Amino acid sequence: MAGGQSEKAMNDNYLWDRTGKPDAEVQELEELLVTLRYQPQPLRIPATIKVRRNRMVLPLAMAAAIALTMIGAGLWIHFAKSQAGPVIQAARQDQPIATPGIETPVPARDKQTVATVVKQATNPTRHPKTNPGLVATNKHSNVQIREAALTPQELAEKEQVLVALRLLSAKLNLVQRKSQGLPQVNAIRNQHKMG
Amino acid sequence: MIEAEATAEMLLMTGAFRSPQTIDEPIEQTLVRAVLDGERDRFGRLYELYAPLVHGVLLARVPRDEVDDLVQDIFMHALKKLHTLRKPTAFGPWIAMIARNRAMDFHRASRNTVEVDEHTAVAKPLNRTAREVLDLIRQLPDAYRETLVLRFVEGMTGPEIASRTGLTPASVRVNLHRGMKLLRAKIGAVA
Repeated sequence: MAGGQSEKAMNDNYLWDRTGKPDAEVQELEELLVTLRYQPQPLRIPATIKVRRNRMVLPLAMAAAIALTMIGAGLWIHFAKSQAGPVIQAARQDQPIATPGIETPVPARDKQTVATVVKQATNPTRHPKTNPGLVATNKHSNVQIREAALTPQELAEKEQVLVALRLLSAKLNLVQRKSQGLPQVNAIRNQHKMG
Repeated sequence: MIEAEATAEMLLMTGAFRSPQTIDEPIEQTLVRAVLDGERDRFGRLYELYAPLVHGVLLARVPRDEVDDLVQDIFMHALKKLHTLRKPTAFGPWIAMIARNRAMDFHRASRNTVEVDEHTAVAKPLNRTAREVLDLIRQLPDAYRETLVLRFVEGMTGPEIASRTGLTPASVRVNLHRGMKLLRAKIGAVA
């Protein structure tokens, strides 16, 4: 019984990787079926078949998109910083001056909204007591915060940021369409959009 | 100086010196990358390596007369679609799958046509008994017939079948063992 099992194992080994004692039946099948074996033939590749090149489209597109986003963000931050002007501190004469750490309620009787911008003191111990004589007060009834007028240079920078963002958006659309295998959008329409 | 050059040439000829990049890189990966980088002729080497596999996969499923043309078609298709192969090392399993699908398409397309018996259609002088055995193998379940054809017809060993088809060695071993058992039973029944 044990001899029969070891013989079977040897035969299995021959069937598996041609090691061990050859199995007569397996050998017979090998010799018989070898006549059907693949006969090497040259591969005829027509000249019309074009192999698509292994272009790293997606990684490159993603890298370009990230780079453009960073440039856009950098320009935006630069633009935002240049826009930041001095903080206005104003209050109505009949209104208490806000002190750091204490919330100043707006009187309910006055229904007009008063825009009040209070500069928070970085060091609360620096001005322990507010001197009303030293604080600028608004004599008019309403405080009107005027938008700072942009200089030509700032306008140019703003325009540059907007163009960069539009370009980025167009590039991202292009990348998305390429990655999804969709046809390209009409270039003229795209230009119109961007303009 | 001349001796040093000669030694270097000998090393290159024997393959003893290789660049670190190519030491562990499977040949399929190198070839697939080369083809995708524009060296179209390197596809011929892939064809040489994998034509027996494709032939075996097809022979287990379609009439023998159709196999050679289908092998060519499958490699043409593979060349066109090579850029879609994500893992170059999986070229074998990938092309085997293309061959299986193509065999299914062949049977779908030939449903409406008159099926000609292979015995009557083949005019080539072929060992009659070999064809009979092949017919018996084709009656076995898919997994067994493909493995048996690759083993007996294409002469691959179990480990080679596993590495080329992407199956685990254990699966191939089981398929060989069970397929052989079923084939023995069929041969005994016919005899």
